[in-house]
Amino acid sequence: MNSPAYISLKDVVFSRSGRRIFDGVSLDIPRGKITAIMGPSGTGKTTLLRLIGGQLKPDSGSIVVDGHEVPKLKRRALYSLREKMGMLFQSGALFTDLSVFENVAFPLRVHTKLPEDMIRDIVLMKLEAVGLRGARQLMPSELSGGMTRRVALARSIALDPELIMYDEPFAGQDPIAMGVLVKLIRDLNGSMGLTSVLVSHDVPESLSICHYACIISDGKVIGEGTPEELRAHPSGQVQQFLQGQPDGPVPFHYPADGAAQDFGLSGGVS
Amino acid sequence: MIDRIAAFGRLGLDIVSSFGRSGRFLAGVLGGVPRPATGFPLLLKQLYAVGVLSLAIIVVSGLFIGMVLGLQGYTILSDYGSEAAIGQMIALTLVRELGPVVTALLFAGRAGSALTAEIGLMKATEQLSSMEMMGVDPLRRVIAPRLWAGFIAMPVLAVIFSVVGIWGGMLVGVDWLGVFEGSFWGNMQSSVDFVDDVLNGVIKSVVFGFVCAWIAVYQGYDCVPTSAGISSATTKTVVYSSLAVLGLDFVLTAVMFGDF
Repeated sequence: MNSPAYISLKDVVFSRSGRRIFDGVSLDIPRGKITAIMGPSGTGKTTLLRLIGGQLKPDSGSIVVDGHEVPKLKRRALYSLREKMGMLFQSGALFTDLSVFENVAFPLRVHTKLPEDMIRDIVLMKLEAVGLRGARQLMPSELSGGMTRRVALARSIALDPELIMYDEPFAGQDPIAMGVLVKLIRDLNGSMGLTSVLVSHDVPESLSICHYACIISDGKVIGEGTPEELRAHPSGQVQQFLQGQPDGPVPFHYPADGAAQDFGLSGGVS
Repeated sequence: MIDRIAAFGRLGLDIVSSFGRSGRFLAGVLGGVPRPATGFPLLLKQLYAVGVLSLAIIVVSGLFIGMVLGLQGYTILSDYGSEAAIGQMIALTLVRELGPVVTALLFAGRAGSALTAEIGLMKATEQLSSMEMMGVDPLRRVIAPRLWAGFIAMPVLAVIFSVVGIWGGMLVGVDWLGVFEGSFWGNMQSSVDFVDDVLNGVIKSVVFGFVCAWIAVYQGYDCVPTSAGISSATTKTVVYSSLAVLGLDFVLTAVMFGDF
């Protein structure tokens, strides 16, 4: 049970709507570390988190989380495994009819039989950890994007999970909010001994906090290692992604017929 | 030609698979035993949302439909000199048919569309997914209370509709057009049978309540989580519910009142 990899994916194949999203992805996510999964938009990074959480089933391959083969788990076992997982959704996914306090209290009320004053203390501690103890009475519609994610983060750590998955935590955040989130992810991982999986395409922020990173493109892992190993990676595709070059192994142009033919020119336009 | 046949076949497969999905969905919703401590407050909240908040439209519609029935009934019956039968005509029409059917149509438009849009938006904003990831089954936590609330609220609303409608018919028939009050109520009491008319009407509204709530929550849960998808699902809820109610009404009427 105590293997160094908390999550282990082997030859995972997954297709949706006739399109192959993952074509034999194998990946080990170490216990107690922050692992960043990066890749261009639309490569299925969020889908990977849903596969790990058992919300989707792979066509083939194995996904083992803390010794449990997730796709083969029965409903009850899957739900009890999920109590050890926290997930921060890109949109925050707060319950819009509940206040900030009640959102964070939700998993505690559902999964524990703690007395009300203890729930209150735990909720306030979690909100304090994300700096929003004073915002407990606000409704989700009154929060900024960054605050929404912090509340969602407080909610996802309410049950003290072993694993936390962040889905694009930095997308659309201003520099201050981004700095706050980077600090929170780093601090939480350190203080709670969490295994963190971070899905993002924000390269500098992700590489600044992760211990280990992998880049997925076209359904395969194209590069993995520590941030230093990745920066020195020989693959042109990895370097294009890390440095944000507009053209390279991933072409600027979407495949099309010849320009001369499309523009009705007889001369050789390349 | 072959393409058309293939498209027709695909449509058939889509419809059958949609029925299959909605059946599995229903089994998932009704499968678990709800815990009273958590389930009851959720049910009460939904009863308020789909039942109490639908009261205004039900009462106002019932009143006007009863009044129109009074006017129309009086005009037709007075030609035969039998305007005293207006009470039984209004009561039978409302209790057997208009009460359950119009309530169900109004319910689909008022509460069904709201349920679909609410659940669809919860899906689009990943609230359902986040609930799943917290180890909470949204089918039981979100869908089941809404389905039960629709199922419970509809017969009550239909009864209220019929009562208010009869009162509206009395306002027009007795207070305005001068039908003798004794014959209005007397004829009604002697011709309306509790089991054949009232109970059958309630059974109809129970069936309609179940079907309308099922369609509404399923469309919300199964929608494409985009603004266009939610809009389409909301429309489907109203259209499918209305068609299902009218079709089922024919079947139920044939079974209950058909003399064969």
